Amino acid sequence: MSDGVQLAQEASSRDPAVGLRAVRALRELAERLEALQVHSAREQGWSWQEIAVCLGVSKQAVHKKYGGRRILGKER
Amino acid sequence: MFERFTSEARLVVRNAQEEARRLRHPLIGTEHLLLALADASEGPGAQALRDRGLGAAGLRVRVTGIVGPPGDELDPQALATLGIDLEEVRRVTEASFGPGALDARGRKPVPPGHIPFGKRAKKVLELSLREALRLGHNHIGDGHILLGLIREGEGVAAKVLVDAGVDLADLRDDVTRRISSEAA
Repeated sequence: MSDGVQLAQEASSRDPAVGLRAVRALRELAERLEALQVHSAREQGWSWQEIAVCLGVSKQAVHKKYGGRRILGKER
Repeated sequence: MFERFTSEARLVVRNAQEEARRLRHPLIGTEHLLLALADASEGPGAQALRDRGLGAAGLRVRVTGIVGPPGDELDPQALATLGIDLEEVRRVTEASFGPGALDARGRKPVPPGHIPFGKRAKKVLELSLREALRLGHNHIGDGHILLGLIREGEGVAAKVLVDAGVDLADLRDDVTRRISSEAA
């Protein structure tokens, strides 16, 4: 049995420690994918408004999070 | 209560905060006390752990195995519990965006300042005082903190020890013996 399968079975044990950690891991992954996609969209000339609509958030929210950095990801 | 702590026990308490900071945890838990104890102390508690092959480095691996990696790192093990194969996600994002696409864009800063004790860790310190009183000792050393960790028994620290194959009752007796012979 692979580690993944075993872990998947552990996840169904309803152990909050396992479940909550999985949620956190998912959030971190989503954050990175979001930054990647927003960066890419800006490079392709998308407006903050267009990005915001796709992410289902306000333009202010997305601009506050990612705006003010001229070249996203190229800085420290 | 802290005025009864030996300098070694104070060091453990202080370093527990740094262990929490390193893992980017918002509260000090029993696991941070255990790591600090194994790492910073030369007292009977740390010696009892070392005699069982439990050094700071090995314990750190066991702790992150339970609580996950530091707060801002990807956690393939936890993602696998949801059926997500991180390597596959990495592969497809790198296919579109190039190598390192999924890497962190600048680490989140390490939280500065004071990190408060969580409920269980606080309880452990209270129990370490109680253990000292029970044994008729007027000071609290690193061994009493370890006894407190064992007595609390439900935190991550206790789980780490049990997972490492430690018999908690046996460890308790051993530590008690060591403290008593040191006090004698």
